[in-house]
Amino acid sequence: MFPWVDGFHWSPNHIIFLTLFAGVVLTIASTIARAVWRTSTDFQTHRATDMCWQLNFKELPEAERTCRHELAGRVSHRTCPNAFDCRHCAQYAEFAALPARGGALTGGVSFSNELLYHRGHTWVRPEEDGTCKVGLDQLADHMIGHPDSVQLPANGTGIETSGVAWRMTKNGHEISVRAPMDGTVVATGGNADGWYLRVRPTKPGDLRHLLRGAEVSGWLAAELDRLQVQFSSADAPVCMADGGTLMPELMDAMPAADWDAVLDATFLEG
Amino acid sequence: MADLVVLDRRFIARGVERSSALRFMFWLVPWVILVGLGIYAAALCLFYGLNQTNMDNRFAFGMWIYLDLGMIALGAGAFFTGFLVYILKQEDLKPILNSAVVVGLICYSGAVAVLMVDVGQPLRAWFTFWHPNTHSMLTEVTFCITCYLFVLILEYLPVLLRNRQLRKVPSFLVFEHQLHKLVPVLAGLGAFLSFFHQGSLGGLYGVLRGRPFAFRQGFAIWPSTFFLFIISAMAVGPSFLILVTATAEAVTGRKLVQSTVFRKLGRISGILLGVYVALKAIDTLVWLNVTSRAVGFAPWDFYAYKPFGSALLFIEILPLGLLPVFLLTLPMTSKRRGWVLCGAALACSGILLNRFVLTVQTLALPTLPFDEYLQYIPSWQEVATFLGVIAYGVILYSLSYRYLPMFGQSKGVDKNVPVG
Repeated sequence: MFPWVDGFHWSPNHIIFLTLFAGVVLTIASTIARAVWRTSTDFQTHRATDMCWQLNFKELPEAERTCRHELAGRVSHRTCPNAFDCRHCAQYAEFAALPARGGALTGGVSFSNELLYHRGHTWVRPEEDGTCKVGLDQLADHMIGHPDSVQLPANGTGIETSGVAWRMTKNGHEISVRAPMDGTVVATGGNADGWYLRVRPTKPGDLRHLLRGAEVSGWLAAELDRLQVQFSSADAPVCMADGGTLMPELMDAMPAADWDAVLDATFLEG
Repeated sequence: MADLVVLDRRFIARGVERSSALRFMFWLVPWVILVGLGIYAAALCLFYGLNQTNMDNRFAFGMWIYLDLGMIALGAGAFFTGFLVYILKQEDLKPILNSAVVVGLICYSGAVAVLMVDVGQPLRAWFTFWHPNTHSMLTEVTFCITCYLFVLILEYLPVLLRNRQLRKVPSFLVFEHQLHKLVPVLAGLGAFLSFFHQGSLGGLYGVLRGRPFAFRQGFAIWPSTFFLFIISAMAVGPSFLILVTATAEAVTGRKLVQSTVFRKLGRISGILLGVYVALKAIDTLVWLNVTSRAVGFAPWDFYAYKPFGSALLFIEILPLGLLPVFLLTLPMTSKRRGWVLCGAALACSGILLNRFVLTVQTLALPTLPFDEYLQYIPSWQEVATFLGVIAYGVILYSLSYRYLPMFGQSKGVDKNVPVG
């Protein structure tokens, strides 16, 4: 069958079989090699982060892909088709011109109009020196409280929008916090207000994709609703909201909750 | 135990509810015991040889080869559905594609595993590639099945890598995405390989000149059974997918695919089965009146030995052939789920009967004047290995259903038994 094995003849049958077999083996091998090579290229050309985010976004439930304009009350219903990156949205200007109808936010979390928010529960504050400060919002902070460990990026590390900014662990759960912007980390630290990064933006002023004002109140209200559903047990009766507020150190206070699901939804894992 | 429950929950896709870890474990227990028994029986055969079976020099093919032929025919749904979706662009069948890949992988890996026990000396399995018998159709089958098993593993890999925890590893997620984009190539290759090995399995019997019950005429080097096996596998593959999915729906208590998918698969299966039954009928008439008469056998010679009476032939062609064709294609019945399931079950039974007849009846019938009619009853080791492979299939399908995106992420709690 093979030229180096006894009994092989250069006859048409052997040659046809050998050609077909070699073709099949080469097709299988080249398919694997192509997939590996393309994967490697995606990482080398920094496309991998965006690709991972796009794939994750597709896996998010529709309720977690709500457009910012629906959250702000500008449109009645719209699902984001751009993986939360409004910089690529053709209809952004059209919807942004509509009046927002933000409601009052209850539930023990607040937000600042000075900050810009990413759906992965991080905020961005542009500083006077051209850098931006990036931190965890109040809802995520209430949820995690004091993490068991924090793995901040080294100075000089590049971060990409919706890629991983830093990692934390809490009660055995690994949490990947998504970066709200593109840039290079110039400083990191932790203080009474929580862990933060100071980032020099790749394109200064390119923060259109981040939520602000009425959008934030609508989004946080939806997030609190989601939490209420996720924390209710499967056999619990349907209840009216009781108007309570989110307590700090939630992961310690409710160890029996399905924290994998809650953390995945909070930090946008599909 | 609590850790196991948490671990189990971590691997189930978010937003997808499955039965409790404990119930799932209870569901797996009997199948794991069967797999254990199968491994024990296979080990006996590998250590002590084929004297552990009831096969001998005359009855060289038994229950295991029947299992191989049956599983490979039923597993044809994998290549055929891939062919329909990726090559013929039948996008509406996409929801069942992952399930088809898992079914195919189970069938082919199970068949290869049992073949390793049957052939024996697994450490010398590579001999079949290095020193192949170029005059045997089985050589071509071996090459194709091995290659196709690799193809199926590659097709299964993107499904596996979409598991909730595995997809959190960026390199896995990107590799899954890139490999998934190349799956049409694999689908085409799978169709090519399946075409040949399904055919060669049939051709294997058709070239047995010394067995007039199986011997057929044909075109060039291919006897008619070569083509009949290809068409019958294509016909029955979608039917088996219908049955597996309907069983999964019954066990998990939830709707997994739209009824339109069932109807379409049923119609495709019915039409192909119609072509197969017509060709099979013609082939049978030619065989009985020309081929076997030419070597001195009258038709009734083949059916004189009980329990292999002529009734088997009629059962195969009419209630297990023509009837499912009508059930799966007629507008009145093809729109009703019950009739479609009934038709699919009959179609699968018909093909399994066909493989049984070709494997067992062929060898049981005497061909020379001094030959005796032989009876073969499989030993418990053969039966245990057979059941072990079936149990392995149930376990792999159950695990895939629980932890992987088999039908998209259907939400809701399993109501009945805890497969999911």
